[in-house]
Amino acid sequence: MKLIVFCLFTIYCCSLVKASPMERKKLQEVLRELKMLKRDFPNTELMMNTPPKDIEDCCCLTALTCFRETLLQQFGISGKYQKKLYKSLNHTLTISGLNFCNTETSTTNCSTCHSHPKEKASEFFNRLESLVQRGLSRIN
Amino acid sequence: MRAYILFLFAMMSTRLLLLLYLTGHVFAKKSQDVDCLVVNLDYVSCKWNKTGTPEVNYTFYSKLGNDQWKICNHYLTENNVNIGCNQQVDSGDRFKTFRTRLTNGSENFEKGHELKKQVKLNPPTNLTVLNGSDFNLWFYWNHTSPAPLHCVEGEVRFRTNNNNWDFSKVSAGIQKYCINLPSSSSRYELQVRNRIDDSCGESIFWSDWSEPVVWGSNNSTYSKDLMSPWTPVIYLVGVISFILLAMLLMHHERLRIILVPVVPKPSPFLHNIEDWFQFSKGLKDNFKPDYNERACPVREYNYVSQSDVVSSDGSTCSVTTDQTDCSIEHDPEDLSSPFPSNPVSSEEVQKASV
Repeated sequence: MKLIVFCLFTIYCCSLVKASPMERKKLQEVLRELKMLKRDFPNTELMMNTPPKDIEDCCCLTALTCFRETLLQQFGISGKYQKKLYKSLNHTLTISGLNFCNTETSTTNCSTCHSHPKEKASEFFNRLESLVQRGLSRIN
Repeated sequence: MRAYILFLFAMMSTRLLLLLYLTGHVFAKKSQDVDCLVVNLDYVSCKWNKTGTPEVNYTFYSKLGNDQWKICNHYLTENNVNIGCNQQVDSGDRFKTFRTRLTNGSENFEKGHELKKQVKLNPPTNLTVLNGSDFNLWFYWNHTSPAPLHCVEGEVRFRTNNNNWDFSKVSAGIQKYCINLPSSSSRYELQVRNRIDDSCGESIFWSDWSEPVVWGSNNSTYSKDLMSPWTPVIYLVGVISFILLAMLLMHHERLRIILVPVVPKPSPFLHNIEDWFQFSKGLKDNFKPDYNERACPVREYNYVSQSDVVSSDGSTCSVTTDQTDCSIEHDPEDLSSPFPSNPVSSEEVQKASV
């Protein structure tokens, strides 16, 4: 029994060591898919609930959820790039890569998605891109 | 009349408003424009002396995102007047809105800045060159910013023997560059600069060029390698030999055929076979089907003594073994002459004896 626990713990520790490069690759993949969607998106004047420019570290995951759900509501997952991007934004590596929060109590102060003012689709994509770039600039 | 009065009133109002507007511009206070730049992801440097040194000392405040306003700790001065401020920031703070405020008494100028792309890194350091075991020239460098390696892309420029610079991009995460198989008699000079990569929020400014590194001979001549003195002699000998060989082949057909065999050129139509070969006319005539070559009659002659021979007219003749001379034209049927210039055959001698 002790041996099994020890092996599982070793495997868990090894997975943590390899997480950073995988998170980086996942976030880079999200950027690529976002750029493809921006390039082919027809209506850049469409208004959507958009998280603010200045997102607190502990509210980044809440903002990520807002970006993902807004994408789903507005575009669905019928399109090729919409589907890929939605899946990538829902991936565990993306979530762990954008988790900048070190404390547990700060998430209660984050604004809800519907409380965010509506912005144009171009601004929506730019802010999502900045969030992902912010995550990449933190990963070593 | 009423319309005329209204018209006059409108004209005067317009002129008065215009006068007030122009007067207001003259006495309006000049606003201070602040420009900010993130230097090496270490600090933000803001300056307000773009249009010249300010006349008054402003107090500078800055605010990141939703944080509180902070007063400047480190002013930049010129002629004892504040012209800028350096403010410490974290590397991730450039993604937040950076607000600045300049105050002097009642004057208050506020401005928002997007610093994500306003980054200028320090130039790369420790640029070194190594001659690798693969005979290639390898250049290595470091960067001093706190940015992760995968966020920094580079650009190198190098030149050979002080010629024009060649530029080349280096992908993010790579801090080396290779020049393949360099010439030992050439001089190579290389510099490198960097900036934040697109995946981490591409900066619009490149860093300054690093200190150059040089490899190669200092005394190398910058023109092409000098030619050996024997090279033109060898070329001349080769040309003369070629001309002699060409002349030899033109005058000796047999030698030409041996050295350069004739390749038959079959025609789709079945003509005479001699048309396949490029022979001379004399040689070609030998293959004509109606060719007639004069036969050389060859006769054998026996020695007969004078006493055994009795001729009708008492003439005697002696014959010897000899071959007919084919060079003399002679009808082979004509044997009637008793004293031919050529000796007669044994058959004619037997006829004479009978």
